[in-house]
Amino acid sequence: MSAPKLPVTALGIAGALLLAASGCGSSTLSPKALSQESKSLKSLAAEGALLARDAEAGKSTRIFRRVHSEYLYKTASKSSTSLSTAKAAPGAAQELQKLTKLAGELSADLKHLGDASNEELPGLARDLENVAGKLE
Amino acid sequence: MSLKNVLAVALGILSAIGGFVDIGDLVFNTQAGATFGFQLLWVVVIGVVGIIVYSEMCGRVAAVAKRPVFDLVRERTGFGAGLATLVASQVVNLMTCAAEIGGVAICLQLLSGLPYRVLIPLAVAGLAVASWVLPFEWIERVFGYLGLCLLVFAVAAIKLHPDWGKVAHGFVPGSHSGGSLLVYLYFVVGLLGAAMTPYEVYFYSSGAVEDGWGPKELNLNKVTATIGYGLGGFLSFSLMIVAAVLFLPQGIDPQFLGTPALTAEHAFGKVGLLLALVGILFAVGGAAIETCFSGAYNTAQFFGWRWGKRERPAAASRFTLAWLVIFALAFLVVITGYDPVKLTEYSVIFSVVALPLTYLPILLIANDHTYMGSKTNGKLANVFGVVYFVVIIAIAIAAIPLMLVTHGGQG
Repeated sequence: MSAPKLPVTALGIAGALLLAASGCGSSTLSPKALSQESKSLKSLAAEGALLARDAEAGKSTRIFRRVHSEYLYKTASKSSTSLSTAKAAPGAAQELQKLTKLAGELSADLKHLGDASNEELPGLARDLENVAGKLE
Repeated sequence: MSLKNVLAVALGILSAIGGFVDIGDLVFNTQAGATFGFQLLWVVVIGVVGIIVYSEMCGRVAAVAKRPVFDLVRERTGFGAGLATLVASQVVNLMTCAAEIGGVAICLQLLSGLPYRVLIPLAVAGLAVASWVLPFEWIERVFGYLGLCLLVFAVAAIKLHPDWGKVAHGFVPGSHSGGSLLVYLYFVVGLLGAAMTPYEVYFYSSGAVEDGWGPKELNLNKVTATIGYGLGGFLSFSLMIVAAVLFLPQGIDPQFLGTPALTAEHAFGKVGLLLALVGILFAVGGAAIETCFSGAYNTAQFFGWRWGKRERPAAASRFTLAWLVIFALAFLVVITGYDPVKLTEYSVIFSVVALPLTYLPILLIANDHTYMGSKTNGKLANVFGVVYFVVIIAIAIAAIPLMLVTHGGQG
């Protein structure tokens, strides 16, 4: 029967998530993990750029821009913090350094996106597109 | 058929279309489109046909036996198997209900700008009041009709000018590109799970009894299940298409409930954005009520309690208490702050594991002359039913390993 397995599996996953979410100590990131992180940051940057371009064109509401960009910012910021304390696996130090820098820039841009004026939006959109372009 | 009946059928179909999409469809269809483009459209077709086949069976059982499916599950399969089915369905219902409530709160936040944590209790209170005050058919109609705002995604899919040749190609299963085979299979499982979620058939079946269906409604059952769910499937196609056109080329992986709304915003500006948000709000709000009621229906039917939205709350007190408790438990899950989108991914994958426990009793009862008399499954219904059951077994076995190996589709 599948049913009794459900709580056990759920508990296992919940436990793993708690461990992952606890973020205690620094982790060592392999090239594969860094690539994954880079993809995730690229996604956030591209989404932020799309939102900024739409807002610039008058297509978005102020509330949606503020709330949605905050979700993007929080995720980028969490990523930036974990990258800044992570150690790189042998041969991946340069990539980690690059990602940490870009994650920091991305966080700052996304934080600003929520309350940027209409005049600031085009520059912000370009910055976010640049960050997305530098990530894999 | 009189004009009044045609109107009733049309209204039923409209609410079925609007009520088809829930948070699971939103999450999996947009993520699949953003990862594999149009290549997984064929899976939506398979999922939609599956839910049509089994909903038609459920509706027929309810109309002929005048009893909903879960009422018959314990009687037909015995206490042990019935209890296992109940536990599995309740775990999935609760997770899904919590995810939908989180989705409602996020939509309200994107519309109002108020803090998420403040909106969670407001969302639960609003849904509970709507469930208490509105008659059954009005719950279906209000949430179903306003959920039709999601049609903005269908229009956006046209406005964003996809390559229709590639779209057509996506309806044919074949080789894939853009991600690993395991991630592709994970999305196949997730899309099927999202389309064939157990609560939908339980709610459909109990709803048929609530609406007083009898043998006269067998044709209405066929039409509602086939056209309602069939057209509802177009919303799933639309979500996948807009994500494929807008997100895939830019490398956007939709991880937030507001992300799909960006497609409507991009295509139609503020009006599109607001339609998308209102559509999502009522689609996930309706699904929250459906999952909650589905849980209460199942519990009441299993233990033989008096049940039904048509009953006065005091007359069906344990049923009423059951859905209030489910809302309260779902509230406790959401208020922890766990991401509703992640919760959706888990609830859909766990629902896949529970699918055989849901669909096997339906197949057995729909073939049982004791309950169905001359209205048992025909050859076609049985061929589809058995083929789908084999598919369900396969994806139920593969679901959790695929989720773990692919890190929830992240590769």
